[in-house]
Amino acid sequence: MSTNGKKYAEDYTLQELLVAAAGREIRDREVVFVGVGIPCLGALVAKLTHAPNVILAVESGCIGPTPYRLMLGIGDNACGENAICITSLWRAFSDQQRGYFDMGMLGGAQVDKYGNLNSTAIFGAGTYEKPKTRLPGSGGANDIAISAKRTLIMMNQQKRRFLEKVDFITSPGYLDGPGCREKYGYPGGGPSVIISNMAIFRFHEKTKEAYLDSVHPGVTAEAVRKEVSWDLKVSPDLKTTPPPTKEEADIIRTLDSQKIYTGGGLKNLTFENYIKMLNSSHARIKGMFA
Amino acid sequence: MKEEDTKKSLDKRMTLKKAISKYIFDGCSVAFSGMGGEQVVAPTYEIVRQGQKNLTLMGDSPCEVGDYLVGTGQLKRVEVAWLAFAVAGVSPNYRRAVEQGVPHKIEVREFSNYTMGLRFLAGAMGLPFMVTRSLAGTSVEKYNDMIKVIDDPYGGAKVALVPAAKPDVAIIHANRADILGNTQFIGFSSNAENIARAATRTIVTCEKIVSTDEIKKVPTFTTVPQYVVDAVVEVPFCSHPWNMPYAYAYDIPFHMKMMAEIDTADGFKRWLDEWAFGCKDHDEYCEKVGWARLKKLAQIERKFCKSIV
Repeated sequence: MSTNGKKYAEDYTLQELLVAAAGREIRDREVVFVGVGIPCLGALVAKLTHAPNVILAVESGCIGPTPYRLMLGIGDNACGENAICITSLWRAFSDQQRGYFDMGMLGGAQVDKYGNLNSTAIFGAGTYEKPKTRLPGSGGANDIAISAKRTLIMMNQQKRRFLEKVDFITSPGYLDGPGCREKYGYPGGGPSVIISNMAIFRFHEKTKEAYLDSVHPGVTAEAVRKEVSWDLKVSPDLKTTPPPTKEEADIIRTLDSQKIYTGGGLKNLTFENYIKMLNSSHARIKGMFA
Repeated sequence: MKEEDTKKSLDKRMTLKKAISKYIFDGCSVAFSGMGGEQVVAPTYEIVRQGQKNLTLMGDSPCEVGDYLVGTGQLKRVEVAWLAFAVAGVSPNYRRAVEQGVPHKIEVREFSNYTMGLRFLAGAMGLPFMVTRSLAGTSVEKYNDMIKVIDDPYGGAKVALVPAAKPDVAIIHANRADILGNTQFIGFSSNAENIARAATRTIVTCEKIVSTDEIKKVPTFTTVPQYVVDAVVEVPFCSHPWNMPYAYAYDIPFHMKMMAEIDTADGFKRWLDEWAFGCKDHDEYCEKVGWARLKKLAQIERKFCKSIV
């Protein structure tokens, strides 16, 4: 398969498609506050393809790394590897609040039509104090949602996760709609995209409501609507998400050779295989950045 | 001993056991450094062994220190942004405490990573509060009476205020320090500089104690100067299974084994019997993990990150 001169991968996994889709949201020379996992892999794929001058930043205070291994968290040593700056947490977040960070990456257990995210608690029949499921909490997500110039949201597509209203707004999108972010003086512009395992959503310029912009190959708009709790609007110009290119797929498989983020390999990772993975990734990934 | 006496000591070395028993008391508030790595793990095990109670944890995103001390029932209150194990998984003890009151209910006041950082900054600056664009208009603010939203007194939109965090005791873990307490991070330090300064008593654990001449070679690496510090403890592999920048890689296979164990309350008890109470100190813990394994993690790290010191 080939379009616009790009050669698409013949076989690829859903996770690889999501990594590529996240990477395509990033423009060259941007400063991107990355989380862990698939969006972060996307940022690295962007750096190795169309955005060689992207600067990654993480919450621990590491800025502009070029790691020769998979980043296993926002405080992994890989975050400081070949970095341009290592500073404090409050300083990195202050730089974001000041307006230096172009994009942030977020996820959660629930999202609503205005892109508000919940990563604090699923109330169920209970309350905030005694919820059905206690989640980790904000971490830096509230700060990223408020201050990054725009945010990318990554979510699992399920009706119980795509809600009219979330139980708890950990990270604000557009709150109750147009004008709300301005009322609270949020420096950032809010969410620009939601990438799920079925589709890509963007936000209407005037109503600030999320609409369906693109479905992944093999998925219909009707199937997506079934997994959304509000009356989802569909773009008149509905697209199909392009699969990863062959180049992107190759990069993803090199970066995540043990399929930790793109196949669920963490539980079966032995110490010996882990050391082997680190040993071999240094030369392989260094070669890609050369 | 008066506060100024220990901070002015010219040799602050002591054992981890001594530092914890001397400074951490029942009912005190504690804060720890680390962020998604560089966690203060060895002191956590020691606090579990010693059993101090009714503690309040002030932290940004604690891992073992939050999860374990909730699980043992030693914490009565947490003021945090997040509590989990990052890539390794969620925090089973935090979930059990909040969802089921096991082993008992805890008070929770939530912030974000930045605003916990600002709370420590306010504490470190001797100011009552700090102002931020974060929090206002979200449920984090709505459910936390410690956060105040005011109109910007100079005009403009609303702003949120967060109170200074002033823990009784801070424990920060760094790459190296001298016996006076001059503390150097080679990699990231997250909120350590302010956590150390905001506390009444500050314990520095470090991978290696070095000479003051060695510190003076790269004074820009000194994140915390000696006048802040009360105790210095050399604790190699203090963060295991977490990574320590320029020292050792993340032992994620060990962490996955731990996560599988502590998933149930019984499993957590077994884990502590083995790794906290089954080891008399951190040396025995390292012995049990295996020095060969730890050395491997240090060796592999040097391949990726070589320090100039």
